[in-house]
Amino acid sequence: MTTVDSPAIARDTHTRVNPVWQVQAELMKIRTTRLWWFFFVGILLVSAVALLRNGAAHHYELFPPLDQYPENERAQAAAQAVQSATDAGHAAIAADMLTSGQFLGVLLAMLLGVLSTTGEYAHKTAASTFLTNPRRGAVIVAKLAAAVMVASLLWVISTVLDFFVTPFYLSSQHIHMSLATWVPVRSVLLNLLAYAMWAIFGVGLGALFQSQVGAVVAGVGVYLGGAGAVLLIFNLIYQAYHHTWVLGAPVIAPAVASLVMITPGRAFDHAPPQWAGLLVMVGYVLTFGIAGLLRTRRREI
Amino acid sequence: MIILAALLLIGGGVYWLTHREGRRADEPRFGTGVSAPAVQVPAPPTGEPVEIVVSGLTKRYGEVTAVDDLSFVVRPGRVTGFLGPNGAGKTTTLRVLLGLAAPTSGTTTIGGKRYGDLDRPIRRVGAVLEGTSAHPSRTGRDHLRIVCRAGGVPMERADEVLAMVGLTADGRRRVIGYSLGMRQRLGLAAALIGNPEVLVLDEPANGLDPHGIRWLRDLLRSLADQGRTVLVSSHQLAEVQALADDVVIVSAGRLVAHGAVDSVLDSLARPTRTLVRTPEPERLREQLGETAVVTPGPGTDIYVSGMDAEQIAEAAQRAGVAVYQLTTERPDLEDVFLKLTGGVAT
Repeated sequence: MTTVDSPAIARDTHTRVNPVWQVQAELMKIRTTRLWWFFFVGILLVSAVALLRNGAAHHYELFPPLDQYPENERAQAAAQAVQSATDAGHAAIAADMLTSGQFLGVLLAMLLGVLSTTGEYAHKTAASTFLTNPRRGAVIVAKLAAAVMVASLLWVISTVLDFFVTPFYLSSQHIHMSLATWVPVRSVLLNLLAYAMWAIFGVGLGALFQSQVGAVVAGVGVYLGGAGAVLLIFNLIYQAYHHTWVLGAPVIAPAVASLVMITPGRAFDHAPPQWAGLLVMVGYVLTFGIAGLLRTRRREI
Repeated sequence: MIILAALLLIGGGVYWLTHREGRRADEPRFGTGVSAPAVQVPAPPTGEPVEIVVSGLTKRYGEVTAVDDLSFVVRPGRVTGFLGPNGAGKTTTLRVLLGLAAPTSGTTTIGGKRYGDLDRPIRRVGAVLEGTSAHPSRTGRDHLRIVCRAGGVPMERADEVLAMVGLTADGRRRVIGYSLGMRQRLGLAAALIGNPEVLVLDEPANGLDPHGIRWLRDLLRSLADQGRTVLVSSHQLAEVQALADDVVIVSAGRLVAHGAVDSVLDSLARPTRTLVRTPEPERLREQLGETAVVTPGPGTDIYVSGMDAEQIAEAAQRAGVAVYQLTTERPDLEDVFLKLTGGVAT
C-alpha cells in the first residue's frame, strides 16, 4: 500500500489537535456501548414512575379525603388544600409535575459522569485515550462537555414526557393554567441546570476514584444517604439548640442543595431560598470538577 | 419503595453492564488451518526519520527503583528489541516514554520532543501497551473509529487498518468475543491509524500463534524497511532474536547491553568454539599450534577455540588428518540473556 492507497491518510491535513475531536470521541464512547440503553430506558422509567407518584400526591393535596384523616390533622390538610387551590399553588403543582423524574434523573446524570471517567480505568482504555490525546486537561474538559450534553438529552427525554402528560393531568384535576408561565418554566430550566451540574459532579467524582464500584457507591451514597444523614443530623442539632437556621442548614448536602435549587418557594420548612441551593451546587461542581481534573493530570496510567 | 426499586434497578443495571462476561470466540484465524493474511504494507512515513532517545531515566515508586539511570537510543529503519525479564522496568520505561507516567529524573524524547509536546501524537507515534484494551462491549471497528475521531484522522482509516491486520470480518463484533490474538491485532490496528513514523509495542506477540508471530515479524520488518522506528519490548528471547535488528537488554531497571543483536552476541557471549570430529585428535592438535585452545569433546572429538573453522580445515589438510565434521557453535541470545540477567528470565 502506498500513500495513494490510503485515501484517509491522504486527506488528513491537520497540523494540530482540535479540542472538538475529543468531545466527539467522548460522545461516541457513550453511544457505542450498551450503557446508552441503560440511561435511555432508565430516564423513561424514573420519569414515568415519578409522574404517577407526583400526580397521586398532588391529587390528595388538592382533594384530601378529610373524613379519613385523624381529627387533629384535618385542619392542616384542609388549609393545605386551600393553599394548593390558589394560583401560586397551581403553579407549584405544575412545576413539580413538569420536573417529575428529576430526583432520580439527576442521579442517572451523575452516574453517567462517573462511568464515563471510571470506565476508562475499569476497562483499561485510559492509556489508549491519553496516547491519542496526551493533554489530559483537554480530555477531562471533553468528558465534562460530553457528559453535560448527554445529561441534557436525558433532561430533554424526561421533560418531553412530563410536558406530554402534565396538561392532561392538570385538566383532570380541574386546574386550568398556561404552562408557559414563569414559575414552571423556571423550574424546568433549573432542572436542566441540575442535570448538567450533577453530570459534572459525576465526572469529577469518577476521576478522583481508582475503583469504578467505589465511585458509584460514593456517588449514590452522597446523593441519597448523604441527604438523609444531613437532614437527620441537623434535626438532632435543632432539638438541642432550637435555632431555626439549623433546619435550613442541610442545604450543604449536594442532594438537598439540588432540591432547593429547583423547587419554587421553599423545598421544605425553613429551607433557604433557591439561590442558596444554586450557590452550594456551583461550589460542589467547581470543587469536584477541578479536583478531578487535577487528579487526572497527575495520575499515572 | 419507589426509590428502593429504582436503586435496585440502577445498581443491577450498572453491575450487569460493567461486569458482564460474554462467551469468548474460539481461538480463531491463525494456527487453526486458516492462513494469516498477507501483510499489506502501509503508507510510508511522511516526515523525517525519528529517533527515540532515553537519557538518564530513573523512575522510583516509593522505595522501589523500577528504572535506574537508563540511557539508550533507538534508531530509525531498524527493529529494536527491548528485552528483559519480567519486572526489569521495560513497561515502566515505555509508559514514561509515552507520557503515561512521569519520570523521577532523566528525559525521554521522540524526534527531540517529549511525547506530551508532540503536535499530533497519533501521526507521529503508534503504541500498543500491555494491559491496554478496548471496551469489551464496543465493537473493534467502533474502538478504532473513536481513536480516529479523537486523533482527527478520517474515519475511513478504521476500515483500512482493520484490513491491514486481517480483522475486517470481525470488525463489527464486540471486543468481548475476541481472542487474545485478535485483541493484539486490534491494538496494532489502533497503533497504525495515524500512519506513524514511530511504533512502540509492548509485548505485541503475546497471544499470537506461530503464524501470527510470523505475520507480525513480516509487518515490523516492512515498517522498519520504510524508515520507521520500531521499538518492541519482550521477555521472550527467541522472539527478539527473530524480530529485531538491535537489542536493548535491561535487568533490574539498568541497562545491561545495547547494540546490534549480532554484535551484542559477539561481544558479550563466550567465544565461539568449533566441534571437530576426527580419528586423530592429537596430530591435529600439534598442527593447530599454540593459538588454538583445544578441549576434549565427546569420544575422540575435540572443541577448538581461538581459530575459525576455515583455519582448522586448512591445518588438518596440511597435516593430512581426516576430518569428518566441523561445527561452529554460537551461543544464542538466550544464553547471553540468562547470563546477563542472572538467569531470572521467564
